[in-house]
Amino acid sequence: MAYKPQYGPGSTVVAENRRKYMDPSHKLEKVRDISDEDIVLLMGHRAPGAAYPTAHPPLAEQQEPDCPIRKMVTPTDGAKHGDRIRYIQFADSMFFAPTHPYERSYLEAYRYRGVDPGTLSGRQIVECRERDLEKYAKELVSTELFDSARTGIRGATVHGHSLRLAEDGMMFDMLQRCILDKKGNMVKYVKNQIGEPLDKEVKVGKPMDEKWLKAHTTIYHSLGGVAFRDDAEYVEYVQRIHSLRTKYGFMPLE
Amino acid sequence: MTDATYPQVRIVSERLMNPDTVEEVMNLIVATGGVRRIILNGPRLPATVPYGPAKGLPNPTSLRRAIKIGGQDVQLEVHVGTIVLELESRDFIPAIKDACEKGITKFPWYLQEGRYMKTEPSMVDYAKYGPDADKNIIGLSEPGKSGPVIIQGTK
Repeated sequence: MAYKPQYGPGSTVVAENRRKYMDPSHKLEKVRDISDEDIVLLMGHRAPGAAYPTAHPPLAEQQEPDCPIRKMVTPTDGAKHGDRIRYIQFADSMFFAPTHPYERSYLEAYRYRGVDPGTLSGRQIVECRERDLEKYAKELVSTELFDSARTGIRGATVHGHSLRLAEDGMMFDMLQRCILDKKGNMVKYVKNQIGEPLDKEVKVGKPMDEKWLKAHTTIYHSLGGVAFRDDAEYVEYVQRIHSLRTKYGFMPLE
Repeated sequence: MTDATYPQVRIVSERLMNPDTVEEVMNLIVATGGVRRIILNGPRLPATVPYGPAKGLPNPTSLRRAIKIGGQDVQLEVHVGTIVLELESRDFIPAIKDACEKGITKFPWYLQEGRYMKTEPSMVDYAKYGPDADKNIIGLSEPGKSGPVIIQGTK
């Protein structure tokens, strides 16, 4: 029988969302339009339209050693061109952001090639070749994995994940990289991810309403959302893992 | 340091408050006339970018600005989420609650009574400010930096 990944336990909508985002066969719902140029501006690694700086000559031009693995693995577009490794980092509010750091790393590992995701408590960074990164970042920002108010694109000074929201519903950001334009109900980035002012504003769409967020979140939250303890299947699974890990130290038999 | 005979209260709001809201509620609180000391607490809003490749660049933000409390300019350096007050007596608590009800209308808040200000200088305070630092302001603001703002009372 062919292996079929289950992605994760749980019987609640939160668990269902976690599985959905991780499953590469699930097509992520597109929520907003964002141009390639805007993504480049947000990340701030190169000027829009500039050539990609390289870390090594293109693979076609350099002598590759005779290696069976290199023959087996097709290089990604960025690797083929010898692009630099660059990053994008996200902070997700615990107030029902669509996704969260661990989920991001899982889903990127399942969905994308040649990535190096790094998970921290309130933020998540993904590194890969610049050309590939722009493609992946566009998907991460334009789909249901992103909410303009509860998710932040933050390269440095990321504090905000576990803080109360601002009056207008935006996640705290000490650099105020994005502002909510109340008239148009539109979030605009005025600084790039490390806090340098942008020459032009980048619109990342309207903040989603509470109902949408609760239907799309992957975060358990006992105040106002789905409590982790209400998901019996998930609790049972976590307890089983915890128990096995603890016992294994003493006696590696079940 | 804080005299144990003075009661202290803490006002915590469900959302971090904008400077306009802080200005409004603080003026109502100060007008009650029973406040001895105030701390406006919350996550910091630095004047320059503190970390990363852009370290040192100016950090323009609409949340970090001067507000007027009791006719006195106060430079906000935090996004206020908690207001800690030391009162003349417990009799002022109902008036403070009324002021909050009028000042914070868009989201819930709560008021707690307890000890929220430093009672003794810590070893770190001694190392930072020395033996002659003003004990009345340790724990409220940093002696030697911008220092506290004194709001003129009606007495």
